[in-house]
Amino acid sequence: MTRVEHRILRPSEHILDEFPERTDFDVVVIGGGPNGLIAAAYLARSGLRVALVERRQEIGGGLSTEETLFPGYYTNSHAFYHMMTDYLPVLSDFDLRAHGLYFVKPNAQAAAVFSDASSLMLCHQIEDTKDSLAKASPADAAAFGRVMRTWRRIVEDLLAPGTYLPALSPIDMIESLERTEVGGEALRLTEMSPVEIIDETFEDDRVRALMLYVACMWGLDPRESGLGFMVPLMIDRAMNKAQCYGGSHKLAGSLSREIHKAGGVVLDNSEVTRIVVSQGAVTGVECFDGRFLGAKAVLSSLAPPLTFGKLIDRADVPGEMSEAAEHWEWDKWSFCTLALATTTNPRYEVDDPWVNDALMVVLGFDSTDDVLGHYDAVASGDLGDRLGGHATVETRYDLTLTRIAGHHVSFLQIHAPYDIDGGWEARGPGVADELLDLWRRHWPGLDDSGIVRRSLESPVDIETRISSMVRGSIKHGDYNPLQMGAFRPSASCVGGRSPIAGLYLCGSSSYPGGLVIGGPGYIAAGSVVEDMGAERWWQTPPFVRRYQEQYLS
Amino acid sequence: MRDERFDVVVIGGGHNGSTIAAYLAKSGLSTCVLEARPECGGGQENTEVRPGFRIDPHATYLYGGAAPGFDQLELWKYGMRMVYYPSMAGLVTLDGQAANMGSRWRPDLAEQSLARYSPEDQGGTGRIFDELGEQGSRELLRALFWTPPLPSQLEMDPVDMPWWKVFRERLPQFWFDQLLDMNYLDFLDEFVHWEPLKVLSAIGAWYCGAHPAWDGMMLQALGGTLLFNYASGAPRGGMHTYAHAIVRCALAHGARIITNAPVGEVIIRDGRAVGVRLADDAAFGEKTIWADKAVISAIDVQHTFLNVIGQRHLDPSFRQRISDISLKGGSLFVMSVICRELPRYHGRADAFPDEVYPSCVVAPADSLEWVRIQTRDSYSTRTGPVSLQPEHLTMMICTHDVYDSTRAVEGFHVLSPIYLEMPPPEYDVNGPDGVNRQKDEITKAALGLLEQLAPNMTGENIVDVFVNTPQDSEFRNTGLVGGNWYGIRHSEDQWFGNRPLPELGRYRTPIEGLYLCNQTSHPGGLCLMAVPYNLMHVLIEDGIADPGSWWYPSPFYVPDPSAKGGYAS
Repeated sequence: MTRVEHRILRPSEHILDEFPERTDFDVVVIGGGPNGLIAAAYLARSGLRVALVERRQEIGGGLSTEETLFPGYYTNSHAFYHMMTDYLPVLSDFDLRAHGLYFVKPNAQAAAVFSDASSLMLCHQIEDTKDSLAKASPADAAAFGRVMRTWRRIVEDLLAPGTYLPALSPIDMIESLERTEVGGEALRLTEMSPVEIIDETFEDDRVRALMLYVACMWGLDPRESGLGFMVPLMIDRAMNKAQCYGGSHKLAGSLSREIHKAGGVVLDNSEVTRIVVSQGAVTGVECFDGRFLGAKAVLSSLAPPLTFGKLIDRADVPGEMSEAAEHWEWDKWSFCTLALATTTNPRYEVDDPWVNDALMVVLGFDSTDDVLGHYDAVASGDLGDRLGGHATVETRYDLTLTRIAGHHVSFLQIHAPYDIDGGWEARGPGVADELLDLWRRHWPGLDDSGIVRRSLESPVDIETRISSMVRGSIKHGDYNPLQMGAFRPSASCVGGRSPIAGLYLCGSSSYPGGLVIGGPGYIAAGSVVEDMGAERWWQTPPFVRRYQEQYLS
Repeated sequence: MRDERFDVVVIGGGHNGSTIAAYLAKSGLSTCVLEARPECGGGQENTEVRPGFRIDPHATYLYGGAAPGFDQLELWKYGMRMVYYPSMAGLVTLDGQAANMGSRWRPDLAEQSLARYSPEDQGGTGRIFDELGEQGSRELLRALFWTPPLPSQLEMDPVDMPWWKVFRERLPQFWFDQLLDMNYLDFLDEFVHWEPLKVLSAIGAWYCGAHPAWDGMMLQALGGTLLFNYASGAPRGGMHTYAHAIVRCALAHGARIITNAPVGEVIIRDGRAVGVRLADDAAFGEKTIWADKAVISAIDVQHTFLNVIGQRHLDPSFRQRISDISLKGGSLFVMSVICRELPRYHGRADAFPDEVYPSCVVAPADSLEWVRIQTRDSYSTRTGPVSLQPEHLTMMICTHDVYDSTRAVEGFHVLSPIYLEMPPPEYDVNGPDGVNRQKDEITKAALGLLEQLAPNMTGENIVDVFVNTPQDSEFRNTGLVGGNWYGIRHSEDQWFGNRPLPELGRYRTPIEGLYLCNQTSHPGGLCLMAVPYNLMHVLIEDGIADPGSWWYPSPFYVPDPSAKGGYAS
């Protein structure tokens, strides 16, 4: 049947006042994910009149904590940990703790459990990691200690500060990195692929499997060179994962509280259908219900194919942006997640009981070849013979996800293609059973009687829930050398500024990328206050200032 | 860990707690709300149980259209938007009758249906609403719901109660003395002829707050359906967006709202509530939050006095009376069905055309006797399992996506909620999980009945079913004690100044500085913003709140003779 689509019954008499059909703001932010929220929070406090517009019923985007195991069990369906809590400027610029925002960062960060029930751990503390790696190879333990001294500096001195500054052009980047030894090492790694870096550094195949998986799990292609500098980042950050107590959505909620406090407006259930451009400059946005929100600046957190390919009239899109939209590559792979509510306490059969405290447990990979085979299978549109992925017991460090004492919420997540052979509707139930089998091999107590509810979310489900994650792209676009650094999303967008006057890009498809690192929103907010002459009330964080002095002055 | 200090601390961020916080923050008081769950809003919830589909586990319609809160708090500024439905209600019987009762926007639909089945019912109870008109409806509703209970010292003839006063003035032609003691079923017998229409009205009244069989509650039951008729719709995107608007209003006026922060204890010094201590599992860790002016308990009255107030602060006889408050009724078995086609009801598949499909259908609406049977089985002690016969399974089948595309993926529909009346877990002879153990069979029986009523509701049409029992509701949502949607029974002895107990009727408690702001106080459940509005009068009286010129009191408000602040001066 046809719906009374987008055409609301307008009674002659309104019984209560409603948000007006047309309102003018200084800034409209499209999309209430982490970056949209961060940008809106900074701009609202600058005194600008800000409206944040979100398609879904809840803000947060990937910062979602939802009762998908209905009734009674919440799960963090996207970001289940946060890797940049040590750096995120928003955490120090705003008093988010006042809203009850706390992060738990356990020492037992990640573990790999192998088919013979042996294990390796990646801990927050380097010496604990070395103790564990030494079980497999004393040489690798030593190598880990050695490389981490440099890798930590690559992260602290270069990559973390660079996350919160506009991208440098490749030439400027090379020139600045060549100034120091650490920078030189980052440049050397850049030219290598993740698998080359891991092979060069470690000798034991299980150590390599764990490191390679952790380095690539969020989207690096293991065989591709050009982004090797991200291997130290991903491994260092894998030792600094923090879980948001009360669910990841709490970070979104805390940010939205700051927006309201500063007089900003958040409109949910308001899909933007058009960014209105007049004479090369934005004038506002139209929402699906016909409401028009006027704005001097519009920040879009959507990827180029959506921002430029769908929301702006073709005639108003500059050539370089329509090209970027057309050639945009979505994430190479997405995720498929089996979430479980159980009455049994998850307990892995493994040589080291500490594994049970790990925030994340990697299952199914005994060797580099297993990991590579897994990524190859996914890239070719299927799951391969050997399933593997990472599991998390969400209630281990966050008791708030269910109120039923003694019950737990856990999930096992694997990389998965959006276009799986046979389609997800047909394959889903079988994949769920396979994942359960994989899990049971390591968690023998997981019998059917202990499972209260289960739910499988495929890449198609990801896209259905969060439509900006096209084809299940949690990062809004592939991490490859042509879509990273100054090229993300296009060389003609510096500091989030698009070629259309007043239109800014602030999402994961902009430099430096996704995964709740908060860079795109922070950088775009800086550009907006600069261009609009508003107050830049926040200070550059010390770690960024040190980088500017050493590498950019 | 530093301690925090506010003027007012509100325990519970349901819509009552959030609304009082918005009122107080707008009055310039520093206010902190502590919510145990990850999200504020209480029963104003929507859950995306399956990607792209949103269900309503509890609250489903906006009833509070007449609330002063909409303009006093200017909720529109915080994104409040409505969808008004051309057809709110319909009924279907097992023998194939179907009536579309339309809504206040489309009275012609009810006229057409009744012309077919029952010309003498032309207008039905709707006649009363027509006579009242827009102004009269609002006045009667405000007298029933948006008026603080009168001071207990005041002697008053029942006919002078605010609602009867308005009723007598506005509807003299309907007034007769017996109305005072009547229940709604008696009233329906007097005014309505067609049995299915009586069932629709009775079930409608029950879901709007007052059970049709409760004596002396005829006007409250009628008022409940008037609430439903007056607002005739739901917020765009579902009831949770209404909660968002309230919470955002509170935040914009400077309130602090903290989630995952269950309160463990109210701190009482010298008989006065001075703050709260958070429970051990609060996101804040153990932390004390001081309240300089008041602690407002927006959690249910039993949890307040039996759990978060230490026993040593209360008279044991008072505690006993608190635990004796009746929770019966209001326990819901809530199903949500995702389907490809909307139900096409048998016999009269054409009764509900797409553009005026009733948002809520009561079925099977065959016999008032069935309503009585269900009442007996849910309220009296049962001796066996829940019966799966049609006469026990009258459903209220709601759907919003016909008028609100945010609720479902295109090409699909969501029937949510489908409410069924159940015994409350606390009173179940089979133990508190009695209904839980029958969850699958009750679901199956209800779906079977639905298929009997609408032959297209077969297995192929149904994509997914989500169910929460009363006990599930309790686990999910701390405030829904007994899976009950109005806290404690809306019966005459728990209504107005008697709600929850006579000495608590004006929202004050034996503990100085501690106030009640929950559906367990007058006027009870439904998302009306009424408890906080009424409470504001008392806070002004006590010199705690001093709102600006945006505030206006209820015309029926009578100040407490012993009041110190505000209205007394």
